[in-house]
Amino acid sequence: MNKEPIVQVKNIGMSFGATRALDDVDFNFYPGELLALVGANGAGKSTLIKIICGYHSGYEGKIIIDKNEVDLNSPKEAYDFGIQTVHQIINQGVIQTMTVAENLALKEMLSPDQPILYNYPAIRKRALEIAYLMDLDYLDMDAPVFSIPQSDRQMISIARALASNPKLLILDEPTSSISEKEAERLFSTLLKLRDSGVSIVYVSHRLHEITRLADRVGVLRDGKIAGELIKPFSVNNIVHAMVGDIEQEAVKKEEVKTNKNVIKLELKDLVFQEGKPGLNLKLYEGEVLGLTGLIGAGKSELAAVLFGAEKPISGEMYVNGKLYEPENIGAAIKKGIFMIPEDRNNNAVFPDFSIRQNINIPFLNMFTNKIFVLNTKKERKDAKRMIEAMTVKCENEESPILSLSGGNQQKVIVARWLMTESNLVILDEPFQGVDVKSRSEIGQYLRSNIGKSTALVIATDLDEVIDISDRVIVFNHGVMVGEQEAGEIDKDKLIHLTSQILEEIYTGELNEKV
Amino acid sequence: MKKFNITDFSIKWGFLIVMGVLFTIFSILEPAFISAGNLFNILLSVCIFGTMALGETFVLITDGMDLSIGSTAALSVMISAYLMVVLELGGFITILLVLGIGIVVGLFIGFLIVKVKIPDLLATLGMMFLVQGLQYIPSGGLSIGRGAIIKNGREALGHFSEGFKYLGQGRILKVIPVPVLIMLGVAIIVYIILSKTKFGRIFYAIGGNSEAARLVGVNVNKYKVIAYVSSSFIASLAGILLAARVGRGDVGSQGTLLMDAIGAALIGFAVLGARKPNPFGTIIGAIFIGMLMNGLTMLSMQYFWQDFIKGSVLVAALAFTFGISRKHG
Repeated sequence: MNKEPIVQVKNIGMSFGATRALDDVDFNFYPGELLALVGANGAGKSTLIKIICGYHSGYEGKIIIDKNEVDLNSPKEAYDFGIQTVHQIINQGVIQTMTVAENLALKEMLSPDQPILYNYPAIRKRALEIAYLMDLDYLDMDAPVFSIPQSDRQMISIARALASNPKLLILDEPTSSISEKEAERLFSTLLKLRDSGVSIVYVSHRLHEITRLADRVGVLRDGKIAGELIKPFSVNNIVHAMVGDIEQEAVKKEEVKTNKNVIKLELKDLVFQEGKPGLNLKLYEGEVLGLTGLIGAGKSELAAVLFGAEKPISGEMYVNGKLYEPENIGAAIKKGIFMIPEDRNNNAVFPDFSIRQNINIPFLNMFTNKIFVLNTKKERKDAKRMIEAMTVKCENEESPILSLSGGNQQKVIVARWLMTESNLVILDEPFQGVDVKSRSEIGQYLRSNIGKSTALVIATDLDEVIDISDRVIVFNHGVMVGEQEAGEIDKDKLIHLTSQILEEIYTGELNEKV
Repeated sequence: MKKFNITDFSIKWGFLIVMGVLFTIFSILEPAFISAGNLFNILLSVCIFGTMALGETFVLITDGMDLSIGSTAALSVMISAYLMVVLELGGFITILLVLGIGIVVGLFIGFLIVKVKIPDLLATLGMMFLVQGLQYIPSGGLSIGRGAIIKNGREALGHFSEGFKYLGQGRILKVIPVPVLIMLGVAIIVYIILSKTKFGRIFYAIGGNSEAARLVGVNVNKYKVIAYVSSSFIASLAGILLAARVGRGDVGSQGTLLMDAIGAALIGFAVLGARKPNPFGTIIGAIFIGMLMNGLTMLSMQYFWQDFIKGSVLVAALAFTFGISRKHG
């Protein structure tokens, strides 16, 4: 790479209170290059990105754009220098009450050059042009954004960023909530952009994506640069740089505790999505069952029915051989069916609460006397036991949960549901935004403490599922299409099952129409 | 040993120190300020809206807002008077009926928010007008006192029972006003519920992240209704205290009660750096408002400054809570 860098950051540092988030970080961003930025949670990736896109103004060090030193104080300034960012939290990138067209052409719509009288047809026309950039013309331009799926919202943010012809395009975890098919579309667009000379910074936990896409990988660890890898590199190389000398511990599975004589959960002809065939499935005592499939395959829909959040359309569920018909979530929990939901920040963490309060919240009755007064001493003792068992890195059980890194927060949420006896623990995307080391520790703990219960681990990432499970099942378009025991995992076959059949379903539909 | 940090210290103790300093200044400039009689006067002046503020705390914790409490208190005043003076009922049964009406108002607000899905600010704003209007209807828009001529031309012959009036005018040991003790009693009960029981933990959980609360099995709607019922119930109790103090049913007695109550609860955020609704802070907030008004009046502040000063204190406390502490945290 003998080109001049388009953006350089030099000796960048940043502190939040006592925490040193970034320390003496140097990076060069070259035109026509895709740089992947990786690191465990809390390694400083987000901080670095926020500095480059103008969100943090109190940084140390220098930012040089096109050989001129600049002082970035607001996102608008970064934007004017041609730096565009697509942030991880999708709903911060779109205005939900506006239409798809308005969101796509948001910049034009809010521009001071617009005529005083709002010209929706013109906005819509521009929006269509932008939509073509990402092949989004299948979207209903006049639908309000709150009515379309998360993945489409994400695509809108990305398309909008592309439309401004950025010099440097930053994408923070762009694939964390879109389907594989959409991801493929994104990848091909990104590679085209790169070839046209745009510099791209790509942040992701999904290392397989990175090995495919990136020309160079920058690894951050504890706020410092821990390594830079130039193509070719393997997932293993990256993981080593990310976690240092710690071996990448695959979850040890010599202890298989599945007891096929005891069926914990049985589903008989369970229909949980309109127009899909019934599901028959048995989960055994001591078993960790992995469920994979693309977004929209019906994984979360099944979880919602098991957890009492939705009613099944037809069919029956049995827990320990007894008919199980939960009225609501509270009833499911009483029957020992627990769920660690997807999207930790929005669905699981109580931000004002301490670690102890976050762990104990579902089972407060365990800690109360006859007049409902809580026994804080017992609370602390039990929380402490779980923190130690899960190796949560914290000062003590009274620390605020927000003082923990993402991986450690997730350990607290897992601890919440593994503290008491259960019949089934559902873990929906438990490793989203969780670093490799925490992921391995959570997996290890789950496997060794499943006891007489059973676990259902749901994840789109195949490796995450294979890593932890005794058995893997695959969903595709609401249908269970495959099943493999841990000993006989054939990854290519599983990938085939997740994706290929989908096309067959499509051809089937086409044939019918013809 | 943790290092001393001036920001941490001022977030935690700043408000109480300011309060202490003001107290000292008032005492020096006007020695009558610290007489027992005057201190009880201060407490007496805050006990109605202070009690209401404790109810509002439940709603604020669940991330809601109840704008109808002033009207509910005023309705209770009129209903109390109507029951005793016009219908000539006894004091005890009157109290039960009025508290019952408070519960009904709360249930209805809960219904509007949980079932009809009206945003809470709008639902309670609507109920504020509705309940405020309701108080005029039984007496045809007139105040109710002994001997008043009511709608049908009949003279009202009943009277406030002595026991009922004791709640507002009585003094234990001839010094401590009964309504002040009632406010402190309510404060202690609310404190225990919110800080020591599982219900309090669940209220705070809903306020922190209601979706996460739902997913750990909490019936969020049920608890929201309970919060509004508590708020309305306590507001009707405050109305009883007000009626008992005045001894007659004056229309429009809501006055500035709503704003004072919400102000006290919000000032409470700044006490001990809590940054969230809490009963101890609420009471301190109420007493702070009362102390300031009393002290400044003694120093010959003119009455028309009152609202401006209360507002300034509230804005300063909020700026302190959300500005300094948030940035720091």
